[in-house]
Amino acid sequence: MCDHHDKLRSNNRDLQSLESQLDRREFFKKTSLGIGAIALGSLLNTEKVWSAVDPYAGQQNSVNAFAKNKLGLPHHLPKAKRIVYLFQSGGPSQLDLFDYKPKLKDMFGQDLPDSIRAGQRLTGMSADQTAFPIAASTLNFKQYGESRAWVSDAMPYLSEIVDDLCFIKGMHTDAINHDPAITFFQTGSQLPGRPSIGSWISYGLGSDNNNLPTFISLVSKNGSGQPLYSRLWGNGFLPTEHQGVQFRSGKDPVLYLGDPENYDGNDRRQMLDYLKKLNGIAYDAYGDPEINARIAQYEMAYRMQTSVPEVTDTSDEPDYIFDMYGPDSRNPGTYAANCLMARKLLEKDVKFVQLYHQGWDQHGNCPGGVKHQSKNTDQGTAALIKDLKQRGMLEDTLVVWGGEFGRTVYSQGQLTDTNYGRDHHPKAFTMFMAGAGVKPGFSYGETDDFGYNIIKDPVHTHDFQATLLHLFGIDHERLTYKHQGRRFRLTDVHGDVVKDILS
Amino acid sequence: MDSSVPDFVLFLGRFHPLVVHLPIGFLFFAFILELYGRWIKNPALSMAITLALFGGAISALAASILGYMLSLSGDYDQSMLDTHFWFGIATTLITFFAWAIRSGRLNIEKLNGLKSNMAALTLVVVLVSVTGHYGGNLTHGSDYLVKYAPFGRTEKVVLPPIAKLEEAAVYDYLVNPILEAKCASCHNSSKKKGGLSFQDTMAIKKGGKNGEVFIAGNVAKSEMIRRVKLNPHDEDYMPPEGKTPLTDEEKSILTFWIDRGNADFRVKLANLETPEDITSIASTMLGLEDATGKSGIPLPKVQAVSAEVLKDIESTGFKIRELIFESGLYEIVLPPQSITSKNGSELDMKLESLLPIKDNIMWLSLKNNKVQDKHLKTISKFVNLQKLEIEKNPITDTGIGEILANQSLTGLNLYQTKITAMSLENFAKMKRLKRVYAWGTAITQEEVDRFAVNGNSPAIILGM
Repeated sequence: MCDHHDKLRSNNRDLQSLESQLDRREFFKKTSLGIGAIALGSLLNTEKVWSAVDPYAGQQNSVNAFAKNKLGLPHHLPKAKRIVYLFQSGGPSQLDLFDYKPKLKDMFGQDLPDSIRAGQRLTGMSADQTAFPIAASTLNFKQYGESRAWVSDAMPYLSEIVDDLCFIKGMHTDAINHDPAITFFQTGSQLPGRPSIGSWISYGLGSDNNNLPTFISLVSKNGSGQPLYSRLWGNGFLPTEHQGVQFRSGKDPVLYLGDPENYDGNDRRQMLDYLKKLNGIAYDAYGDPEINARIAQYEMAYRMQTSVPEVTDTSDEPDYIFDMYGPDSRNPGTYAANCLMARKLLEKDVKFVQLYHQGWDQHGNCPGGVKHQSKNTDQGTAALIKDLKQRGMLEDTLVVWGGEFGRTVYSQGQLTDTNYGRDHHPKAFTMFMAGAGVKPGFSYGETDDFGYNIIKDPVHTHDFQATLLHLFGIDHERLTYKHQGRRFRLTDVHGDVVKDILS
Repeated sequence: MDSSVPDFVLFLGRFHPLVVHLPIGFLFFAFILELYGRWIKNPALSMAITLALFGGAISALAASILGYMLSLSGDYDQSMLDTHFWFGIATTLITFFAWAIRSGRLNIEKLNGLKSNMAALTLVVVLVSVTGHYGGNLTHGSDYLVKYAPFGRTEKVVLPPIAKLEEAAVYDYLVNPILEAKCASCHNSSKKKGGLSFQDTMAIKKGGKNGEVFIAGNVAKSEMIRRVKLNPHDEDYMPPEGKTPLTDEEKSILTFWIDRGNADFRVKLANLETPEDITSIASTMLGLEDATGKSGIPLPKVQAVSAEVLKDIESTGFKIRELIFESGLYEIVLPPQSITSKNGSELDMKLESLLPIKDNIMWLSLKNNKVQDKHLKTISKFVNLQKLEIEKNPITDTGIGEILANQSLTGLNLYQTKITAMSLENFAKMKRLKRVYAWGTAITQEEVDRFAVNGNSPAIILGM
């Protein structure tokens, strides 16, 4: 019976029609193969194979070409051309920096009223405390500038430029621990896997300088504290060329830029041309957009061989610039040096520069910790803003400073006259922005006398993200990407543009 | 007309639009067979015609009955409904008549030899077409068929364009366009769903079956607002499922008109205290501003530029970016050091190449490119220029004099140029100019302070 009727073909039409029908054995054979094929397909990540081949993938140029781009962007007139996002990882204490709460002095050591905490979820680190003693900041606050903004003496340099800053004092977020909170801030989702803000902007607007990556991240060296991961500047499901490129924090931001001995640019060009042809053949065969991304990245790396040494060379910076950024700026890889590098990258029209500085996680020794962190960052931040301003770049460069959440008003651990710790606090914290399209010398939102709850103009993480995209001429509801059968956006189904802070 | 009609009757009535297509098909088919039969004599054909006519007659009868049931809902314009109604009845009767003749059940002596079959069928087809047309008008509105016809298109009432937001009459410029776009397809003079029509102001004031559609000054009691703000799954939600819902902006405009505008059909924005969000929505709707949420300088209306022109410009070394998708407004950048002492003369030619799109340039950057005063003369022709970056160039006060006439510039970057305090009074003459960057020029802080004391704008920004 093994050689089935497949091979026995009758001349009689009626018999033929019988033969063409499936019998039980044939049915199982065919269906089991089919199911197997489907299972195999899902194992092999069919997405790439079955997704409609994107004719634009890997071609940065076509996205930012002057002609109609397929995304219909920008949706409206942009205010910002580029952004530098100074991420203060760990959760800086708003109560010791910007959110001045004088009434706390009288309540020093008292238990935080239940009516204020209102059953708010705490972290495992302070949830089992028997008391929640109020810790007024031991730092001194003063008002500065024409805008009379309160800044503590931890940030002497920043206090000089408050009239250029737009404080958002009613920030709040959903997550209470570092990993989900920072992932939420950078990608709009607490779970890893979504594209970061920079990747969305790179995808939506393309590059203004084809010789450098659109999205570059710089991490201060010798950072300790909460870890950072490359997925924070990752592209998620967006085409890979929109991934943030991390520069090393040290003397050589990018390694192996030079050609080996007796091997020059022409040789490399030739090699890359052949490689491109080969990859092109592979793309025609498999249609995997990642191949195009790979081609684009090889080409970018080639161009970076000349563009990176140019932009990372600080030898032509005059001394007074180094002095403005502080002594650290001569030490590559520090926050101040990264701030200076950021300015140089922005000058070259890199669209999104993201700095990270770790160590803002003051569970204990908060006053000392905040001062230490400020000492390392204050001068660089202020200098960067001043430097951008005097070059006229603050006109269309957005500066963002902030962490993933704030810190509690009550002391974690023992409260003494001079020392206290502060736990994570997602319900209210402070960020500031400056530059393109935001009101200078402005403060938005307000917290209660404890700095615990927002009483006026709250801004959620998604609102912040929506506003950021808005400044780039993007309607956050219309920048979407279809992945696994669903359209995704940075703000998921949330977010309102904070129009009140727009200039 | 009202709730006295049992739901079941209305339920059946809604099958009318489905069933009407049966007689149309049958009768046209019968007509085609009849024509065909004139060439091919085949007794089977004759039988088929009789059968098609019979099917047509029966289904026409069913459609008429269902149609009557549907008409009981009272959702339709009475006079148009009457025409459709009587044509429908006539079609049904004539169809039966035609069938009777064809099948030989009716034999009128006088008609013999007069090709009665053909005549009756032709009449039937004409009737079906006319009835169908009136039925279509009832459902889709009387302008549906010819709306996009290439001939005799009646111009819609075109509102005169307005220059200032305050001049806009709230109803005509903001409310009516929303009603037209989102409501009028079901609520018009011929198709009055729920007895409501948004055809004209009289009809709107009259309201529908459930009473008035809004109460002036009282949003909470206004049926229209209640319905558009319901949960989309609610039975009363408007527009119904499958139609485009109102956006939040549109809802706030309607609310604003009923609440602040007291549902006055003539009130202008200028007469009302207008919250900022409404101003912003209104100016976006009327295309009056830069859509950044603040009323600023209105976006210039410019001609689109062909890709060839842009390619030519690109080939001279400029980078081009469209500022808003399909707006024809561009940012033009000449990469720094494209012009050096070696090719200094090329800049004239490059700038000339921009002239074909001189109205389309909104941002221009020529930093560090040996731009001289004479080049600013060309730049002064770019009338819609809002941002100009010409820092690090040998520009003097003379050059600033060249661009004085520009009234759209808001930001001017002149750091490390050769300008002096002489230019300050020229800056003040440029009406929209907000910020001038003058770090690294001869201008001193004292001069800037003295300038600012007089309440002069723009802000002059120096550096360290």
